[in-house]
Amino acid sequence: MSADLEFENLVKLYYGDLYRFGLSLTGSEADAADLTQETFYIWANKGHQLQKAASVKGWLFTTLHREFLKTCRRRNRFSNESIDEGAEGLPNVPPDCAERVDSRTLLRILGEIAEDFRAPLVLYYMEDLSYKEIADVLALPLGTVQSRIARAKIQLLRRLSETNLPLEQTK
Amino acid sequence: MNTRDAKEILLLYRGPIDDSDPQFQAALDCAKSDPELGQWLREQTKCYDTIRAKLRAIEPPLRLSEKIVRRWPIPFPRDWSRIGQLAAAILISASVTGLLMKWSERRHSSVTGAQEIVVTGEVLDMTCYIAYNLSGPDHAKCARDCIRSGLPAGIKAQDGKVYLLTGEVGHSINAEVADYAAKTVTIKGRQTVRDGFAQLQVEEIRKL
Repeated sequence: MSADLEFENLVKLYYGDLYRFGLSLTGSEADAADLTQETFYIWANKGHQLQKAASVKGWLFTTLHREFLKTCRRRNRFSNESIDEGAEGLPNVPPDCAERVDSRTLLRILGEIAEDFRAPLVLYYMEDLSYKEIADVLALPLGTVQSRIARAKIQLLRRLSETNLPLEQTK
Repeated sequence: MNTRDAKEILLLYRGPIDDSDPQFQAALDCAKSDPELGQWLREQTKCYDTIRAKLRAIEPPLRLSEKIVRRWPIPFPRDWSRIGQLAAAILISASVTGLLMKWSERRHSSVTGAQEIVVTGEVLDMTCYIAYNLSGPDHAKCARDCIRSGLPAGIKAQDGKVYLLTGEVGHSINAEVADYAAKTVTIKGRQTVRDGFAQLQVEEIRKL
């Protein structure tokens, strides 16, 4: 397969997942598209350094996350809210709480969670990555990743249960 | 393991993707034997699936993939040994070309190492000689004026061969040979030939 076809196939395979990850991190469609493009640009220049073809997906997500963190450092534009340490108890949430909101509302609620917790949570929900792979993408210890996912998930479910809107208003 | 501990573990359980992860095994076993926990787990899993589906339903902007492919450079697999070979080939080729050019330049332009000869003959005004075949005592004054004015000077050897007279690089010989125009002299100098045309770089002039 020629290099251009290889690149095109890679883009087709992962651009959607990367865009969604970027969107959940930034909350901005334009920023998510920029991050996705930047990720593939870096791949075009450095992807050859990757030895295992199987690690491509993890590499792309790691790169996008790293670029996002750089952007955060430069702009610090997101209103992050850290997880309340005292709110770790398992929430009593209605089973249909997630059905009450649409994708955009869900994204907005996700955006209210601190970035340190949001990134592992998004990977947990959206990508079929093992916990080890999520830890690799975020360059965090496995235990830290699991702890952050658990706490962020509780936070998300609690927010969803508080978003007590009738179904027809949110769809 | 009590129900609370099992719930804390199963909070991270996503479904089949985590089935092979041993950390969930004991808690999953609990859920099988505890109907209430089993129901809680089903609700959790359903909630997970709903959130996942909603997030994955977000579509990227139209033509984003085409934009990426069109805009960014196409990568190519870099084989460093081949790149090294290519770089070495370019380096060798450039070196050989440079040496050849240097050699060619030396061969064509330098008089260093030219043959030293002594030539006896008549000093000529080359322009008049070549253009009009004028030489000899009858043409002496014209030849002297022409050489003084900067036109090329030469010497016609007794064997009939004609040499262009030159000085060292950047130094005109005209002032020195003008007074010998149309006279017979002996000149010692270094001979070079380019394209069949002979040149004599003057080192010493003696009038016979």
